[in-house]
Amino acid sequence: MEKNQNDWNQVVIVGIGDHAVGPGPMSSIGLGSCVGLVIHDSEKCIGGLAHVMLPDSGGRTERPGKFADTAIDALVTILVGQGCRKTALVAKMVGGAAMFKTLSENLNIGERNITAIKENLKQKNIPIKAECVGGSVGRTLTYYPSDGGKVVIKLADGKKNEI
Amino acid sequence: MDLSHTQRDALRELGNIGAAHAATTLSTMLMSNIEMDVPEIHLIDISKVYEHVGDEIAALVLFQITGEVSGGGYVLLHIPKNSVIRLTNAMLGMTDLDRDLTEMDESALLEIGNIMVSAFLDATAGLLDVIMLPSPPSLIVDMPHAAFQSIITAQDAFDINEVVLFRTELKSDQHKITSNLFLLPNPPMLTDILEMLDKLLTP
Repeated sequence: MEKNQNDWNQVVIVGIGDHAVGPGPMSSIGLGSCVGLVIHDSEKCIGGLAHVMLPDSGGRTERPGKFADTAIDALVTILVGQGCRKTALVAKMVGGAAMFKTLSENLNIGERNITAIKENLKQKNIPIKAECVGGSVGRTLTYYPSDGGKVVIKLADGKKNEI
Repeated sequence: MDLSHTQRDALRELGNIGAAHAATTLSTMLMSNIEMDVPEIHLIDISKVYEHVGDEIAALVLFQITGEVSGGGYVLLHIPKNSVIRLTNAMLGMTDLDRDLTEMDESALLEIGNIMVSAFLDATAGLLDVIMLPSPPSLIVDMPHAAFQSIITAQDAFDINEVVLFRTELKSDQHKITSNLFLLPNPPMLTDILEMLDKLLTP
């Protein structure tokens, strides 16, 4: 489901497989192997967030936010539709961890999500401005498009950092 | 996917029996009464998981279910960090509440998890007349949503857009400990369980 975030005071939560676009703050809670992908327009100070679950859609078109390839397409299309210049777009990404050793041994979905997003961004010539990915910890991200595209990352122990 | 009233009732009863056995083991270990809620069953869209499971730090002990059920699934024991400290303290006769989690807490969690989840699966499998065994446990102290999200993704998640959230809360009021047992069956396992329950309910 696509959300429009035009409310500057309230944070919109972007759940698994969802995406949202607008000038107001957006958040994805508890990213594990999923990746929170931000595409930000540095000129217009709006942008989008997708909660990417899997690396490749395999041709599926519903829930574009769920897959790396369709999420990037969807966010770029909406942003360009709202008057953004493609060359002003930059990306940030957070997540892609391997939480449980027993789950990640043969799958490594977090890492595959990161690789797929990087490849798809490269094809579209969108530079990655910052990232906080991999490892084995869960992360919550909050993205503030109107505040220079600031992304605040919170860990389970309460520690915060900004990218 | 849809669950009928009868199916929900049958699943709830199954969860009740499993959780009652898990509660008994916890009660024995803590030498205190354990209060148990009626299991909650929600069929939720993956994009709404965050409405049920948050990012507050907790111990999460994961077991994979193996045995005579298709596809398998997972059991997850969720204990908030403060409750973990009270739990270890109660077991080892300590009182310090303002401390970080240590190896001691981790050993206690793995042990408690093993005993509770074995009891839960034994009782559940006994009712269904199949064998279900837990894998060795995997423990993390992190965000519950991040754990759920990783577990859902690790299944064949391409066409999974809904999940069954099957939760039973076990509490000790005396020690102010709360814990949750989640059963997360893969879709084939859920179908299996529902078929077995249907047979049980048909005279």
